[in-house]
Amino acid sequence: MTQTAPVIEIANLTRRFDSRTALEAVTLSIPRGSVYGLVGANGAGKTTLIRHVLGLLRAQSGSVRVFGLDPVADPVGVLSRIGYLSEENDLPGWMRVEELIRYSRAFHPAWDDDYAEELRKSFALEPGAKVKTLSKGQKARVGILIALAYRPDLLVLDEPSSGLDPIVRRDILGAIIRTIAHEGRTVLFSSHLLEEVEQVADHVTMINKGRIVLSAPLAEIREAHRVDGHVPSLDEIFIARVGMSAAAAES
Amino acid sequence: MRSAAAAFGWEFHARHRWGMIGVVVYMIVLGAVKLVVIARGIPIYLDSGESFAFVVMVPLTATATYFLAAFTFGLDGDLAARQSMYPLRRLTLPVTTNALTGWPMVYGSAAMIVLWLVLRTFGIWPAGVEVPWIWPALLAVSLLAWTQALTWMPYPLPGLRIIALVIWLGTIDMIALLGLHFKAGEWLMIGILAPQIPLAYIVARFAVSRARQGEMPNWRHPFASLAQVGHVSSGRRFRSPAAAQAWFEWRRHGRALPAWVAILLPYEMVLFWAAGDSKSLVFTILIAILITPPFVATFAAAAVSTSSSNAGDSSGTTAFVATRPLTDAELVAAKLKMAIRSTLVAWVVVLVSVPIALEWSGASTLVIDGWDRVRDFMGISRAVVLSLLILIACIAATWTQLVQSLYIGLTGRASLIKATVFLAIGFFVLFGPFFEWIADSGRLGEVWSALPLIFSALVAAKMIAVVWIGQRLFQRRLVSDIALFTGAAAWSLTVLSLYGVLEWVLDAPHIPRYLIMLVAILLIPLARLSAAPIALASNRHR
Repeated sequence: MTQTAPVIEIANLTRRFDSRTALEAVTLSIPRGSVYGLVGANGAGKTTLIRHVLGLLRAQSGSVRVFGLDPVADPVGVLSRIGYLSEENDLPGWMRVEELIRYSRAFHPAWDDDYAEELRKSFALEPGAKVKTLSKGQKARVGILIALAYRPDLLVLDEPSSGLDPIVRRDILGAIIRTIAHEGRTVLFSSHLLEEVEQVADHVTMINKGRIVLSAPLAEIREAHRVDGHVPSLDEIFIARVGMSAAAAES
Repeated sequence: MRSAAAAFGWEFHARHRWGMIGVVVYMIVLGAVKLVVIARGIPIYLDSGESFAFVVMVPLTATATYFLAAFTFGLDGDLAARQSMYPLRRLTLPVTTNALTGWPMVYGSAAMIVLWLVLRTFGIWPAGVEVPWIWPALLAVSLLAWTQALTWMPYPLPGLRIIALVIWLGTIDMIALLGLHFKAGEWLMIGILAPQIPLAYIVARFAVSRARQGEMPNWRHPFASLAQVGHVSSGRRFRSPAAAQAWFEWRRHGRALPAWVAILLPYEMVLFWAAGDSKSLVFTILIAILITPPFVATFAAAAVSTSSSNAGDSSGTTAFVATRPLTDAELVAAKLKMAIRSTLVAWVVVLVSVPIALEWSGASTLVIDGWDRVRDFMGISRAVVLSLLILIACIAATWTQLVQSLYIGLTGRASLIKATVFLAIGFFVLFGPFFEWIADSGRLGEVWSALPLIFSALVAAKMIAVVWIGQRLFQRRLVSDIALFTGAAAWSLTVLSLYGVLEWVLDAPHIPRYLIMLVAILLIPLARLSAAPIALASNRHR
């Protein structure tokens, strides 16, 4: 893969669960070095799209390429370069923090012990604490630690801030900023907290009922929606767009 | 729904609808057999131990176990955890602690009583046998009530709940066995068992009350330093990602089998002291001990076969496991390695403790005497090889039991898993009576003659499955070409070795060599193991 090739390239991806269409002809190209915000209401298809990127769902039609590879056919080639934090945060509760670090380190030759220790200390995580005894915010911090410590080429965050307090949300945004501080690294994160997306994303894709209703650089979106000198927030733009989409669907 | 009782009842019904329907269907069939067939005077010979066990005892014991799990909410919780297994959601319901404790006990007790009455009415063949009506029902209810009390109790140490359950339920069972042995009267047994139920209720109420208030004693601090023994420091690295995953699987599932074997063995070994000079009894106990690890492995396999890292999530695969940068074959290989380690540890426990128990109890002289007879009959070399073969077969059977259902469990399809379990139970229930029917009808000779044909058909089916699976493994690139070739070569070599050993040990000219080869091919697992990566891939990349 060349340095200019997109990190993620999705073409005409359609996914159905029984009779329900979760994704409809989604086409997306995420360039290297960008912070890509995926926004949409609950159930819009954000997680389904991310699960395709991780290879956890097989494309029923269309194609998904990550680093130029098919994530289903080559899970090792793709997953070894991705740092992933899920909304569910399903880290094994029986592991101690230090065991989880030791276990995760085995999968990534580029694991940076000093960086991991720095993150552990800054997040105030006890090495001997079992994951199941941690609070939701601490679990999210452990998740960030093991997603960041090997400086992945692509950081994928699926609703990372959902249900978390502002301090942990700040840590997550800090993780995104740390990642992009390293040249050429890419972030894909989904959220329905649009003010967060506004803070860090440089490209926003709005998804509604499995269809992309808007996808453009954030600055462009703002400019396009300027009315009489007033630049609307992403919240306002989202409501306007999703409302339009719903009306179009009804008509 | 206007009352807590109705709400509790409805929830049990909604949650366990299909299980209960299955139980009711079985009870109706049992009743129909007795009422229609026997009432018409058509003779049914179900008086052998095996038939009675397969048709009546196995399904009803399974049902009783299911009731224990359902009415204690044990299907949701972690038995080894410190916290109460009473569902947290229910603790916040606006009802009294008496209601929270009482209604599950009432429904569970009613289910147990109905189960016993059905067994007593329809399951006793022939009907003339004297079986008491009341105290076995009380035994079932008290076992359920104490299981509820002990599972709902918060504990100061992890794993203490299992110890408490084994000791206390074992004690109640022992009382019942002593009652049977000494032919205790019904009223005496009622007098012993009836007070158990209110006692269990009081303990259960106390447990639910503590759980409701979030009280959980903690004795872990004095043990913290002990826990650090053998605790690997974070500085030590795994050799490879595969080694890390093998460690993950060992920590998650590997210790259950050795632990359960270690818990069960003392109960079996204590029987050496009771056996006295009875050689047959000593050898029966030895056989029981030898089949304990494979038997326990059958149950441990249910956990091993899940692809999830969370015990409660029996189907599907968690994103944490699915996003490990490992191939599907490597994830399966980690489970296979863990199963090898788990099997070996379990057998080390057996092989170390049994000789000590034999020597200590004085039963070793009987075993040595038996061994001398076998040696004189077969010759020393054949006797040694046969003994080793039996031991290796038991060890291999333990490992096979742990991993042979991976190809079902790793699909994560709950309906497929349940259907397989029901099919397996159905097979075992029908196999005993079917075999007995063959024996009784004098068809054993015909079956013996047809064995080559039956084995050939099974081998053909196995080979067709292997080819189909091999093609898919190759087409989907789930396993490398070298791994496929190495696996096939290793399997062929093992089959040939087994054939050679069997041929030499049996030394029976009347058994055709091809039959021994067919047996060797059938004994060495291949198709189901090879299908495991396909099952995981279909689950991991849905």
